[in-house]
Amino acid sequence: MKITITVNGEKREVETTPSTRLLDLLRDDLHLTGTKEGCGKGECGACTVIMNGELVASCLVLSPQADGAEITTIEGLGTEEELDPIQEAYIEAGAVQCGFCIPGMVLASKKLLEENPQPDEGEIRRGLSGNICRCTGYQKIIDAVKLAAKKLAGTGKLAGAGKSRGKGGGR
Amino acid sequence: MTGIVGSNFLKVDARDKVTGRAIYPDDIYFDDLLYVKVKRAPHPHAYLRKLDVSKAEELPGVVKVITATDYPDLNKFGLIIKDQPVLVGIGEKMRYLGDALAIVVAESREIATRALDLIRVEVEELEVISDPLRAMDDDAPAIHEDGNILITHYLDKGDVEKGFAGADIIVEREYRTQHIDQLPLQPEAGVGLYDEESGVIKLWVATQWLHDTQADIAQSLGLPREKVRIIQPAIGGAFGKREDISVHIHLALAAMATGRPVKLTYTREESMITQSKRHPMIIRAKTGATKDGYLTAWQVEVIGDAGAYASSSPAVVHKGMYHCTGPYNVENVRGVSHAVYTNNTYSGAMRGFGTTQMAFAYESQMDILAHELGLDPAQFRLQNAYQVGSLTPNGQVLSRSVNVRETIKKAIEMSDWKGVRVE
Amino acid sequence: MKKKGRGMATIMFGFGYGEGFPDHSIASVEIEKNGKILIRTAAADVGQGVLTVITQIAAEVLKVDPDRFYIIQGDTHLTKNSGSTSATRQTYFTGNAVKEAAEELLAKIYHYASLEFRSNHPQLGVEDGKVFRHDDPENYLTYWQLAEIVEKKGERLYGEASFFPRTYAPDPETGQSERMYVAYTFLTQVAEVEVDTDTGLVEVLKVDSALDLGKAINPQNVEGQLEGGTVQGMGMALMEEQVIREGITLNPDLTGYLVPTALDSPRINSCLVENEDADGPFGAKGVGEPTTIAAAPAIANAIYDAIGVRFYELPITPEKIIRALKEKEKNAL
Repeated sequence: MKITITVNGEKREVETTPSTRLLDLLRDDLHLTGTKEGCGKGECGACTVIMNGELVASCLVLSPQADGAEITTIEGLGTEEELDPIQEAYIEAGAVQCGFCIPGMVLASKKLLEENPQPDEGEIRRGLSGNICRCTGYQKIIDAVKLAAKKLAGTGKLAGAGKSRGKGGGR
Repeated sequence: MTGIVGSNFLKVDARDKVTGRAIYPDDIYFDDLLYVKVKRAPHPHAYLRKLDVSKAEELPGVVKVITATDYPDLNKFGLIIKDQPVLVGIGEKMRYLGDALAIVVAESREIATRALDLIRVEVEELEVISDPLRAMDDDAPAIHEDGNILITHYLDKGDVEKGFAGADIIVEREYRTQHIDQLPLQPEAGVGLYDEESGVIKLWVATQWLHDTQADIAQSLGLPREKVRIIQPAIGGAFGKREDISVHIHLALAAMATGRPVKLTYTREESMITQSKRHPMIIRAKTGATKDGYLTAWQVEVIGDAGAYASSSPAVVHKGMYHCTGPYNVENVRGVSHAVYTNNTYSGAMRGFGTTQMAFAYESQMDILAHELGLDPAQFRLQNAYQVGSLTPNGQVLSRSVNVRETIKKAIEMSDWKGVRVE
Repeated sequence: MKKKGRGMATIMFGFGYGEGFPDHSIASVEIEKNGKILIRTAAADVGQGVLTVITQIAAEVLKVDPDRFYIIQGDTHLTKNSGSTSATRQTYFTGNAVKEAAEELLAKIYHYASLEFRSNHPQLGVEDGKVFRHDDPENYLTYWQLAEIVEKKGERLYGEASFFPRTYAPDPETGQSERMYVAYTFLTQVAEVEVDTDTGLVEVLKVDSALDLGKAINPQNVEGQLEGGTVQGMGMALMEEQVIREGITLNPDLTGYLVPTALDSPRINSCLVENEDADGPFGAKGVGEPTTIAAAPAIANAIYDAIGVRFYELPITPEKIIRALKEKEKNAL
């Protein structure tokens, strides 16, 4: 069967099967591998994408359900040269360790900040509670969301200015 | 350009990770990629009597089904003791539910998964031993040829009898800890490719121990080390779980057997059942102290559930024992530790390597003693804590960088801990 | 009813393989012609940040912009053995190997520059990837210009080092050893909890942590280790258990196996005790494993402080707390 989806602003026609998960369609067929599989049961949040404005676990969505949908994956945030402020904030806050949860976490942060541009710590914890991170203990991720909120509000200064060195991504 | 050390220089790999560009093993694709699935043991302790893969082989899209019969010369693997089979052969034993019986290579993940159900397995069931104390009984069936006690270690410093005789109070308790999964968020995965001309197998897989993993794969396959090339993609967490072989040898076999690129990715369930755990431990601790709150003797017995294979057990369980007193001066120490085989998922390395379990025991003992002696727990710790010149239970003199008392004082300050005198 | 309590735990961890087991790391640093500096290591970066740490160390030694570096890592055919990312050893072992390799490279830079400037080492300086005479700093050679000069002589601006400290195997009867582990890291944590005596739920409100680590090469990343390790320790204390009965796992998924989420996790305050007194690079010790060890006993002790019940078995689940409180009530009657 064929479905039509708009992924990161680009309309795509994809040949798929009724039992193919959206996660596999994104990864295997479109090679958008930023979307990760951590559990396959909708428990960990690593496969989170934004579908028609809502956060979904793409491992629980079958591709026919995505027919006609608008989907944002991590590849749809920022550009090669200019990151999304949320992505910048994650780097500057030191919120990235192994990185496997980060695409889902960043998208969950985006959704949270769209609905609540100035969340307090409790609201951030609740907003990210569907995404498991095994490395960071969440603290720097929460700090990253607070920093992103500032950046997005356009009032914040660059984090770590004066104590952070370098730009990252040196490799 | 000085002052880089000690600064919050931003992580060199963070940009790739926040954009989704970082490539983890499961993110690698080839046009003619085949998918691998592993048929696991249906019973935790049994002899394999029959293995019929013919129906699976007939399924359209299945390229190859590999069993021990195809590779009779494979050597066992393992981090310290080579006791783990790559594939269980007919007449051989499966020792836990993660043991591999057959490897299916197919054109798609779905076909490979369906083929697993078409494999017929007949086994002769044996008593399943899940409790390490049962495993230590004289009449318990031996999981491995040399019996169920994998290894025993001893610790003896000073004279514990004398130490306990000089104690005003003795606290004796038994502690138990649980099976824990390290749970790195990325399940085990890898891609393999065999180059017939050079005879080199390329593996894009994670490992915490690159060259040792290479050596173990090579010895298992009977190849020189340079014929196995491992390339590390980004690694989605580890915490000890990526010390052991997982997908590596099965991928190499599938790549060699088919001549095509092959991918093997575990499900979370497969990862939890097949790969290592934090050791459950039974810790019996006996601690003596004077009434003014100085430790005189410490004795421990440790039983660690190694599960079905040795993995890191011959290093983990006694490392726990060696840390039995925590960071406290104790003149007289004695201990014995056993790592014991069972039919549980094998235990291996996890953050803390046996000392995490032991800390639960020694810091509970310290707390109990403080309360029974009527001392502030922080003060009790402070007055017993190591300094430069202290001797560990192993008799090592701590000659430098021993700032444990400073950590206690700082924690007291930070938490506004009441009722403790800080000089 | 909700009851608060506080508990302390102090731990130590001997790091490196120790026990006489051979333990080493090999690394190299080379000035390349393209304006870059190449570090080679097999050390696995599993997220903890070893590649960042070694970049900082090499940049510090060579006095050069850290963005000049790139790393070839994790390829058996392109890198030499760095040992494992385990035993809390990479900052100490590979950190030292990279530091020594960079120092060897720096010595070569001085040597070849002294030939160019017809001068002796004490009269030369390096800064920002340039080597020059102190009395004429404007007349400098960049490392990359020097590399081209050196290449014409058939040499390379290259340093390689193996860090290989010794430990000794313990006596099999007594476990005694003159040097069992290369060094020890210490951590004290105070956990504050609130126990709901009706539901048995334990909330960890905050954890104050003081870590003796010698020197933080990257304080933010050390905090990241401490926070992540603490939350894993909290999982061990309160919720995580793979239940295996008769060899069969009953909860092989994240529905049945609970790990801490952002909602479960406390604020963690970190104090880094830096006396720069260890034998790691710049006085550093390893921190990876120690950060997870104190949390479970600190939380168990805090639960005792809150409700007066001592638990001897982990995890301390709500069911166990309710059962213990009922028992306590019954015994009090």
